[in-house]
Amino acid sequence: MQPILKINLTTGTTEEFVIPKEWEHDFLGGASLAARILYPYLTQELDPLSPESPLLFINGPLSGTSGPTTGRFVICGKGPATNLWAESGIGGFWGPELRKAGYDGLWITGKAEAPIYLSVEEGRLEIRNAAHVWGKDIYQTQEIVKEEIGVKGARVAVIGEAGERGVLYSSICCDHGRMAGRTGLGAVMGSKNLKAIAVYGKKKIAVVNLERYSALRSESNRMLKQDNEAKIIHELGTAGAANYAEYLGAMPAKYYRQGSFEGVDNISGSKMAETVLVGFSACQGCVIACGRVVNLGDGKKRKGPEYETIVGFGPNLLIDDLVEVVRLGELCDKYGMDTISTANTIGLAFHLYEMGKVTKQDTGGIELVWGNFMAVRQLIHLIARREGIGELLSRGSRQFGAAFDAEDEAVQVNGLEVAYHDPRGVSGMALSYATSPRGACHNQSDYFFVDWGHTNEKIGIVYYERQAQAEKAANVALHQDWRTFFNSAIMCIFANVDPQMQVDLVNAACGLEWTLEDMMRSGERGWNLKRAINNRMGLTRANDKLPKTLLEPYKEGGSAGYVPDLENMLSAYYEARGWDKGTGKPLKEKLVELGLEDVAKDLWGKG
Amino acid sequence: MSAIFPSEEWLKGLETKLNSDEKYSEIAKNWEGDLFFAIEPEGNLKEGLTFYLDLWHGKCRKAEYKPDASIYPKPAFLLTSSYNNITAVLTGKLNPMTAMMTMKLKVQGSMGYMMRNVPTVLDFVRVANEATEEIM
Repeated sequence: MQPILKINLTTGTTEEFVIPKEWEHDFLGGASLAARILYPYLTQELDPLSPESPLLFINGPLSGTSGPTTGRFVICGKGPATNLWAESGIGGFWGPELRKAGYDGLWITGKAEAPIYLSVEEGRLEIRNAAHVWGKDIYQTQEIVKEEIGVKGARVAVIGEAGERGVLYSSICCDHGRMAGRTGLGAVMGSKNLKAIAVYGKKKIAVVNLERYSALRSESNRMLKQDNEAKIIHELGTAGAANYAEYLGAMPAKYYRQGSFEGVDNISGSKMAETVLVGFSACQGCVIACGRVVNLGDGKKRKGPEYETIVGFGPNLLIDDLVEVVRLGELCDKYGMDTISTANTIGLAFHLYEMGKVTKQDTGGIELVWGNFMAVRQLIHLIARREGIGELLSRGSRQFGAAFDAEDEAVQVNGLEVAYHDPRGVSGMALSYATSPRGACHNQSDYFFVDWGHTNEKIGIVYYERQAQAEKAANVALHQDWRTFFNSAIMCIFANVDPQMQVDLVNAACGLEWTLEDMMRSGERGWNLKRAINNRMGLTRANDKLPKTLLEPYKEGGSAGYVPDLENMLSAYYEARGWDKGTGKPLKEKLVELGLEDVAKDLWGKG
Repeated sequence: MSAIFPSEEWLKGLETKLNSDEKYSEIAKNWEGDLFFAIEPEGNLKEGLTFYLDLWHGKCRKAEYKPDASIYPKPAFLLTSSYNNITAVLTGKLNPMTAMMTMKLKVQGSMGYMMRNVPTVLDFVRVANEATEEIM
């Protein structure tokens, strides 16, 4: 891979960081490599919003190579709401453009005195005044910065007003509406007075064996075009899953307290396709094009919502009006806020209002009645501006709940709000959420796909009943390792491509001779390293938990009466992982086996 | 009534069962779409096999064994599978969603319609399982 450009915004100085070859070999790229690079800097004492806090934008070796769904990059650091390892993957064209500019990463520290944006060209960095775009939304900022750069093809990553003001679940956006939504890294960017980063260049994106890679790329993209799952995602977007998830009782409604939702047909991907859909959008080189373009009748083309936004602002708040859901998602995007966390935290506010813990006086007169989309709209404005009850809401559900003496009502894990795949309907998500290195995340292991039936026998991922218990723990660990490889390569999780093809692509791109076992081992290494980072920042087994709501059975729907047996699942998981059941740390032998001797010493001492 | 798959008797049995099964009739009451199955030879199946089902509002309006594909050029869904994979589905050894998600069962048709009607699809497979006594 190419060097990483280190930029200190306090001093305005830069330095090239050359990635050690052995790190590339062991961690490949993306999030795992970022974990290796940032390992010494992510300490328990580090304030994620301090100038010292690092923010690393990084590619993987497949980024921008037009392989199967490889237009992605990832942003890593320490999460301001979780105080743990943070990573957020994002598509579009920005990562590939950074490669063309001659870098595979931007490693940002420090804090500018006043709002600035960066312009990165081949071998050249410019720090520009951003006072005139401070306060602008993500779409306006991208347009203004692009115009000022004056280079056709420049790509711009930005934050919105939420990131500027330190909303703890602020996103970083690029290429119109592509979002690095989770873990609040937009707030980290904002804390540095960094509004945007433009990148552009003309360098070719190189792979080691171009002839071999080209053949594999063509074949894998051809297969992907024919894939059933890819066809569903193209035709319906990710929201195409809504009907099936609802049928299984895996799509939470009414803030995770209602196991079915009568209005699902009104907000599903099928409904969108039949009504407001007017086009598709794709990341660099992607043959799926999961992005939606919709027209709400005003002639304006807008970004359409994906599954998480649909469910978050739909069933989660008992809203079954697709047009309103589109508008609420768009409002969040403009401010630069993660729709999962925003909708979840608002859901908690509605729930506490119903319980009588949050009052009309607390809300400034807004009635938080289920289905009241105008109230949701008002809250989004207040959150982004951190005004009124929005100030408390801007801190995320854990802190919002605590402020009303109801932290245990918040559906979050370690400060990250749970996504909309309910472990009562797809039990593997219990472990995915409880053990993810970044809090309740569905992308470190989208195990719901496996619980629906998406197996991968070649790498040992087999089918267990969707509500099976501890017997699937080792399977979840395998799936996490595999997805950690995806987040290193970097490939989108929708790349339903044969694992052997994935290894072949990496080998051709990097000049490696990996086997499937090497691929999985690389993922396992990355997963354990992130775990160790979190252990060093204070995480223990006590953090591997689910909110109480997810351990109470639904009365209705496709998963009625079932709850995951988390304690037994965790014990089996620890066994499969080689983690210490008392402390929650990877055992010394496991770390040494993975080549992480230095980490073993840090966690367990020299003895 | 169940029979050996594949056979004309099996298809007839499936048609009869689809038209008499109350649960299927209720779940599939809104389904409108015909299915054309193309089974690729493998194992005990030496030649390609086709069969056709016209499913409408919880009933089977027509079933045809070994029709030529040209007779039904535009079915609502064209389902293609190898013999071993389709028999694994029919005997309950392979979850139908797994078959679809792992491309052991290839689907051509409106994915939107299928995703909206997954309960119907799954219950159709249940009925087909019950109509299958054994595999050739």
